[in-house]
Order: sequence, then C-alpha cells, then structure tokens
Amino acid sequence: MSVTAMSVPTQAGVREQVSDIEWQTRVDLAALYRLVALEGMTDLAATHISARILGAEDHFLINPYGLMYEEVTASNLVKVDMNGEKVMESPFPVNPAGFTIHSAVHMARPDVQCVAHTHTAAGMAFASVETEVLPISQTAGYFYKNVGYHAWEGISTNLDERERIVRDLGMNRGLILQNHGLLVAGPTIPAAWVMIYQLERICRTQLEAMAAARAVGQDVVLMPQAVADKTAANFNQSFKNAAEGRSNFDWDAYLAKLDSTDDSYRH
Amino acid sequence: MSATTALRNAVSVKDQVSEEEWALRLDLAALYRLAAKHGMTDLTYTHFSARIPGDEDVFLLNPYGLRFDQVTASSLVKIDVDGNILLDNGYGVNAAGFTIHSAVHMARHDLKVAAHTHTPAGMAISALKDGLMPLTQKSMRYYGRTAYHGFEGPALDLDERERIIADFGTDKHTMILQNHGIMVCASSVRLAWTRLYTLEKTMQAQLLAMASGAKLRVPPKEACEKVAAQWDKGDDTYRQDGWESQLRLLDRADPTWKH
Repeated sequence: MSVTAMSVPTQAGVREQVSDIEWQTRVDLAALYRLVALEGMTDLAATHISARILGAEDHFLINPYGLMYEEVTASNLVKVDMNGEKVMESPFPVNPAGFTIHSAVHMARPDVQCVAHTHTAAGMAFASVETEVLPISQTAGYFYKNVGYHAWEGISTNLDERERIVRDLGMNRGLILQNHGLLVAGPTIPAAWVMIYQLERICRTQLEAMAAARAVGQDVVLMPQAVADKTAANFNQSFKNAAEGRSNFDWDAYLAKLDSTDDSYRH
Repeated sequence: MSATTALRNAVSVKDQVSEEEWALRLDLAALYRLAAKHGMTDLTYTHFSARIPGDEDVFLLNPYGLRFDQVTASSLVKIDVDGNILLDNGYGVNAAGFTIHSAVHMARHDLKVAAHTHTPAGMAISALKDGLMPLTQKSMRYYGRTAYHGFEGPALDLDERERIIADFGTDKHTMILQNHGIMVCASSVRLAWTRLYTLEKTMQAQLLAMASGAKLRVPPKEACEKVAAQWDKGDDTYRQDGWESQLRLLDRADPTWKH
C-alpha cells in the first residue's frame, strides 16, 4: 500500500521555518510514533511521546492531539515549551495536561531527549500487580535494576505529582506508573524506541512466565546475581554509547520498515 | 486493497433517509469496521446498534450474514422494537441480536448506541466470579457503571428483554453478559467506540494481571469512584478521541464503509 502525504494532515512550510536539527528530530519522532503504532502499543489517540529539540533545550515536540499515531508526521508535531504552551504556530491542538508527566521528566533529566508513555494491556497489567522487573531473561537486563515505581495518585492533574514522578524515576531509564502504564526516558529517540519496545516485551514475558510457573506450583527461575548484573552492565554500556552518539540502535533498519509501506511520516 | 469488499447491495439508501440518519449510518458502519480492524469480531456474529434520531423506537442493526468488514452505511437494517423492518435493503437481522439490542433501545432512551462483542477477553471476564475489576485508571471508567446479566442460553426468547432491562438498570452504561460476552452503550457512536476499545484493553490487562498470581494492587473504592466520575465528565465533551483520524485511516485502507 502506498500512502501519499496528501492523505495525511500536514502543516505546510514547517521544513523552511525550522533548523536542520529540529527537522531531523521531527522526522525521527514521527517515525517513533509510527513504530509504536506498528507494534500495537497505542491507545487510540491517548498517551504521548515527547522529544527535546537539541540546541533549543527548553523546546519540545509532541503529538497533535486527536490524531492517531498513524497520522503523525514531521510537520504536524507541535513545538511546545515546558508548560505545554505552543511556541510555534500550529493548526493542531496539544494536550498540556498530558504533557505534565513528560515535562517533569524533561525538566529533571537533561540527559533525556525522549520520553515515551504507553497504556498497553501488558504494561497496565504489570503496573497493577505487586511485582518488579525480575532477571528472568537476557532481555530483562534492559531494565533490571533500572526502573522506578510510581504509586498511583489518581488521574494526573496535580502539578505537585511531578516532584514524586521525578523522585520515583530517579536516574532510571524506565518508570512503572502503578495502575496506569509504562514510561521510558531515552537519551535519544532511537534509544527510547528500543526501551519502549523492550519494556513492553519484558512485562508480557514476565507475566506469562509467572502465570505458567504458578500454575504448576513453581516460581520463575532467576539467573544468578552475577550474571544478572553483568547482563545489565552490558545494556548500560549500549545506552551510554547511544547517549554519546556512538550508537543509534540500527535506527535505519526500523525507518526502512516504515519506508517500505508508508513514508508519509517524513512530511 | 481498497474496494475489494464484495458489496451485495450496490444500491445506496442515502436518498431514502434523512441527513441525520445517513450521518448515523456512516458512524455506525465505521464502528463495525473499527471493531474488525482491532480484532473484536466473531465471524458474522454479535451486533452494534444505533437509535435513529427523532424516533425512539427505531434503530439500525447489522445486516445478518455479513462480516463486520463488509458492513456499509446502506446495508444497515432499519428496524423497530417490534421487529418490523422499515426500509427494505435486502437484508435481515439476527434474532438474538435483535432481542438484546431492542431491550436496550426500549428501556434506555438516554443511550443511543449499543455494542456487543464476544472477544476472548470479554468472554473470559464474563466467566469470572469477580467480573470486571478497577485495577487501572482506564478500567475505572466502568467502576459502578457496569451491570451483570446471567446467561439464559442464546437470547432467542423475547421475554429475556425484561430481565436484561431490569439488570441493566437506569444508570449503567456497560453490561457483562455472564458466560457470554460484554456490551457497552453510549450517547454517541464515537463514545461507544472508545468505551468498547478501552474495555477490551482493560479486560486483557486484568486477565494478565490475575493470571500472574501476584497480589493485585486494588485502589481504594473512593479513588475508583472519583476517577469514574472524571471519566463520565470527560465522556460528555471529549472530542480529541481520534475519531476523525480513525475515519481517515479507514478510508485509506478501504473506503467502502461509506457506501
């Protein structure tokens, strides 16, 4: 199926108005929205992924509110400040309340460029039981000892909840929002993609393993502590490499997947 | 891939119905297509219905025998609560579907749309003693707003309507049809869709959470009620639900729903 830019709501003239680095950030963030949709991690038009514009540290890009992730493009992303107020003209609405959690993380963590938040079934399930990310697989090493837990406080409308989100995230790369969903804090957009993809799989895997083990009266098998720590250290190095610009987690491979079916995110 | 759907009736009813009815037909056809897209179908079974504006006893129901991804605005069947088909477009309805949906439309004029599914998650929840639990802030949308109706066998007996109506009550918008499936109702098609989608996802989450065997984090009742009220308030006015965006995406894949 080929999709032309004409069938997606875009904003004319954005490419000409913005810096090269901002445009690249827009293309990459739009691609991330599309990848999250492709992997079935969306919740209709709800939830957000935000990205800081490098070189304009207090400006962020966020989705045009009310569009499905499949319609997000480089030009229809909306540029906002820390309070979710538009700093560049856009015909698309934003959701300042939804940006609150994101801005809290962006303010507290200058090392974080991209914050992604989901409400998937597995993520919500994991967030609703008394457990934590266990070292039951190599993949769990992406978040083992690197995820915080934030107690549910009701629908986030309280600005002072930001302090507690920041406290609970700490320097971790992920946050389980209890009774709510998942959040990851990536040093780059490609890193955030790998994080949200893997945290989703970690949650689902662990829930399935727990269910199967309990059904036959067993517990899940944890890897030896030294192996768990070594595995986590290995992933820590991968993210450090990404933060220092020495890895983009094969981002081109994922863009190619999008480009083969629908490259309208680039417009 | 577009327009590959075989349309049995090529005749549009657009000129035979009011503008309001046509708009409702478009929305309801889209609801069928969205449910198909999101894997909530059961062959040609289960039903979504919408009451015709201005006529409290007349509603639209799916043409029995079509898959959800074949349903079009014109193929929807216009029927009254007594079972009379009011516009002949060559289609009939499923008897059990008529029983359940006519019950809702007879009794609850505040609700214009009813959507009923047999998804594995919905059937599984409907077979649990605890039913739907308020485990996540999304599932709290249904907290205190969900009724339960015991299974009586396929709903082929019109008497069951009285018991559906009694169990549904006057203030609920969702019903667990025990040992059967789920039904959500709403004042508009777009609201029915977000309620259906959200319920499906929260049921999947609940099943995963319960099956894990880990202790559930069940929030206090007061918090659940507060969030449920927040959902109610938002539901009446919320327009950033992605509905128009989803219609464009349907068009992109297969625009025949608008026929």
